[in-house]
Amino acid sequence: MSKHPEDQTARMLEMLDNLESDKYQLKEYKFIGEKIPRRIDGLAKASGQADYTMDIQLPGMLYMRLLMSPYPHAKILKMDTSRAEKLPGVRYVLRYDDPEVMKADIIGRVAGFFGLDQPLPGAAHMEGELVGAAVAAETEDIAEEALSLIEIEWEERPFMLDPVKASEPGAPLTFPERYIDGNHWNRGTYDELLHGDMKKGFAEADKVVEFSFKRTANTWVGPERPCGVWKWNGDCPEIWLKHQRIHLPKSRISEWFGGIAMSKIEIHSPYQGASFGGWSQIDWNLGPLWCAALVSKRVGRPVKYIFNRREDFFGGSMDEGTYFVKVGFKNDGTITAVDATLYHVNAIWPVFSPSLHLHDNTRITNIRGHSKSVWVNKGHTVPTRCEMLPAVLTQTLVLDRVAAELGMDPTELALKNDGAMGHDMEWVNEEKKKRGFPVRDSLKECIDQGKAAIKWDEKWHKPGARKLPNGRMHGIGFTWAHEWSDSLGSGEFAIRIERTDGTAALLGMGADNGVDADGTYCQIAADELGFRLEDVNYNPHVYRGFYRMTPDSSTNMSVNGWAVRHAARILKQKILEAATSPSSATQRGSFQPAFPDTKPEDLDISDSVIFSKLDPDRKMSMADFVRLAGAGGPFADDEFLGTRLGWSEPLFASSYHVQYGKHNPVNPRPCFCRQAHFMEIEVDTETGEIFVTNVVNVNDVGKVINRLSCEGQQYGGSIMGVSRAKFEEIVHDPVTGVMLNGNLLDYKIATMKDLGPIGTILVETGMGYGPYGLIGIGEDIGTVVPGLLAPAVYNAIGKWIYDFPITPAKILQALGKA
Amino acid sequence: MNKEINKFLCPYCGDTLDSADALKSHVFKAHKGRSLPGPVGRIRLFINRAEHVFQVEPNWTLYYLIHDKLGLTGAKQFCDRGACGSCTMIVDGKPVLSCMMLAIECDGKSVETVEGIAAEGHPLIESYVNNHAMQCGYCTPGFVVTSKALLDHNPNPSEEEIVEALSGNLCRCSTYPQHPIAVREAAEKMKAAKK
Repeated sequence: MSKHPEDQTARMLEMLDNLESDKYQLKEYKFIGEKIPRRIDGLAKASGQADYTMDIQLPGMLYMRLLMSPYPHAKILKMDTSRAEKLPGVRYVLRYDDPEVMKADIIGRVAGFFGLDQPLPGAAHMEGELVGAAVAAETEDIAEEALSLIEIEWEERPFMLDPVKASEPGAPLTFPERYIDGNHWNRGTYDELLHGDMKKGFAEADKVVEFSFKRTANTWVGPERPCGVWKWNGDCPEIWLKHQRIHLPKSRISEWFGGIAMSKIEIHSPYQGASFGGWSQIDWNLGPLWCAALVSKRVGRPVKYIFNRREDFFGGSMDEGTYFVKVGFKNDGTITAVDATLYHVNAIWPVFSPSLHLHDNTRITNIRGHSKSVWVNKGHTVPTRCEMLPAVLTQTLVLDRVAAELGMDPTELALKNDGAMGHDMEWVNEEKKKRGFPVRDSLKECIDQGKAAIKWDEKWHKPGARKLPNGRMHGIGFTWAHEWSDSLGSGEFAIRIERTDGTAALLGMGADNGVDADGTYCQIAADELGFRLEDVNYNPHVYRGFYRMTPDSSTNMSVNGWAVRHAARILKQKILEAATSPSSATQRGSFQPAFPDTKPEDLDISDSVIFSKLDPDRKMSMADFVRLAGAGGPFADDEFLGTRLGWSEPLFASSYHVQYGKHNPVNPRPCFCRQAHFMEIEVDTETGEIFVTNVVNVNDVGKVINRLSCEGQQYGGSIMGVSRAKFEEIVHDPVTGVMLNGNLLDYKIATMKDLGPIGTILVETGMGYGPYGLIGIGEDIGTVVPGLLAPAVYNAIGKWIYDFPITPAKILQALGKA
Repeated sequence: MNKEINKFLCPYCGDTLDSADALKSHVFKAHKGRSLPGPVGRIRLFINRAEHVFQVEPNWTLYYLIHDKLGLTGAKQFCDRGACGSCTMIVDGKPVLSCMMLAIECDGKSVETVEGIAAEGHPLIESYVNNHAMQCGYCTPGFVVTSKALLDHNPNPSEEEIVEALSGNLCRCSTYPQHPIAVREAAEKMKAAKK
């Protein structure tokens, strides 16, 4: 490593695994933090020209649909596909007992946890599971019709839908192919004593309260359904895929069919109708892609598989489960112990216990969490917006319950317990200093601004105490959490300067999930390079070989933002060196530098113009600098005219960033930035209807990069959060195990009419571990807000409803009216 | 020989006749002076002001025809049953859910899609971009088309009228607060342009 203080590579390496503040911030910002008027994807999306995988059609392409199990738990004994095969327009019927299917073992796994046992299984463990057969036909309709002609003899098995009952000894096995001695997945059982001594903690309490709550099945409702297209170019596959973590399928595919070199796989990541994590967290939808690949090979035509809308409902959000909480506290609001247990439904990735956020966010000295992943005959549940859902739901309900038990203002209780990892704010402030951050009280700043915006001091009241002139009961609620960006992983980026016009092209492959990350990376690169924003562009959809960190929602800026910044700084250094050094010695000598007799440190770039800091009249635009390569392209054809101008080497830099975040076992970093959310509601006690009339989000994002995008995550997350809390529930028939509402008429999501105004306030304390002191925002609001409806309802009617979604029927029941 | 092959089908009314001569006299008698009808399933549409002729199957939806066959992929299918508004097109001046309308019903009608709205430089496109009235973008064309239909009928809509008009369009990213802002901005631009 170079010791030169300005060596950008040395600085990059120094900032990896960022456990301290960003020491090397820019002195001034031109684009970072501004309301950028245009989205880089805006025109394509608004004019209908943005292509999604669903829009892809190739010459000769076949359409594939897969058979859905009609039973929640059943095995195929016999299958007759002859009628389907004879239907005109059907080109191939792939069966579960095809020798190549049978020998295709696990075709994918996520983070070492879990993969599909088989691409096309012969047994189903939920109603609707894609099993048995895949049909490829000239049209989707023909494929669908062919599926209805397949005759199957099923062996029906007993099924379970309730996670607590499925955990009881002697319960029928829900997945005997995988779990032979009970319906628990042992690797999915967490028993975490996060810190302290539970016995001591409860002994110190003045009061101990126990309660339980439930979150029923709900899901992401990605606007674009899962789909993919497979085309063989000889032995090189070309793939279009709806997937948020595009590097995962590519590495899985490289293991298929005896192995395909990564360098032979061309994968496109078109625009995608949002995933919110969803299917992209697991490789379930790679089963159909594998089938499409095999059929494409056998038939010699490209194959597209498409899930229907109902099939998209066969996966859900991983807050589904039944929670049991015991909390001890003193009369002054000090919480002494929390013990939480979660019976987690089909969590494919149960990485944390339900107490994790209380550990991250508070000074509570004794915390234990237990989560048990129970398998029932429903779909998998995965991080949907975020895997922190169980933890923030628990935090909201525990803290608001304690405040209610004491009759305390919940914002006061929050400040009283604010801390990190069992330590108080004095310790937290010491950590801020030690790590080079400004020492600010993030939670207090968020609460103060939010309270003022919603007029909390005027509006907060005792539960059930305020009836409005319209006859409805008024309620107001508050919750908070830390902001997070702590996914562990790495991100890569490169930047290349184009010939002819000197514009910069960012290179990095990822999936656009709508947060305008792509435009935001350009803001960072433009400020770092000294370029005009319009001179920095980025197309993330085509294979370029640099993989961005995913899930790229809260980690866009905190991981990939670093990678872009490092790459831009290294590239700028290269540009200035190229501008001052003779380059590319040929047999006729070297090309003279654009700025002879100048040192790189005497130059700078602003508005895409290289200039001398000593003599600002000496300047050259980036376009002129690279154009010296010659009008005919990258070579010096001016020599034909007898002059020798200049030439610059190809200008390119790549970089990366790696972080463990707070999961770092050696020096776990405490969370310093907070978010606070306020919700005002009206409850009609005759009909049970809840009207959400006002929401205020306050997020300390450390440093704003793209203001409109941050605000988009605030109001978007709030609306999705309220929608989850009020409406969303996947209903299964307890008698047949069949999903009853897998469509958008019967599964309600919020519309434009369902919420009142949403206030969005951004606080910038600079206490994030990302570049420029930023921290993520994409996952946070949609994850924190759902729980907030419960304290708001309690404030309105004086009853705790611990069963999400909080529907009118449950309100009436709580009021003794149903 | 199969007896049916000796039947002669009248192209006007579908009656069957026993000989070529019988068909000839039937046509002269029943349909004299009328031009020969086109084949079943041939429709003429004015898509974004340009005339198109298609041979369609009776089960094709307007969405399928425009999106899959014509290749104008701006309209999207989010739901599959008229619940989301993402496939909205303007048919004879009214916003319709193209996944719920059969193509064969549209003979002679005019159809406006998001591509046409963008090509004519409608100010909605710019105001949608400037106000981030989109995130993943999948539902955005449906919002733009519905907003265009609103502005066609009501060039100066109030916020309530905009919310009412767009409340049938679902956006899972929940960009809802930005749409009334974008539509108002476009309305103002159109008003200024008229002056």
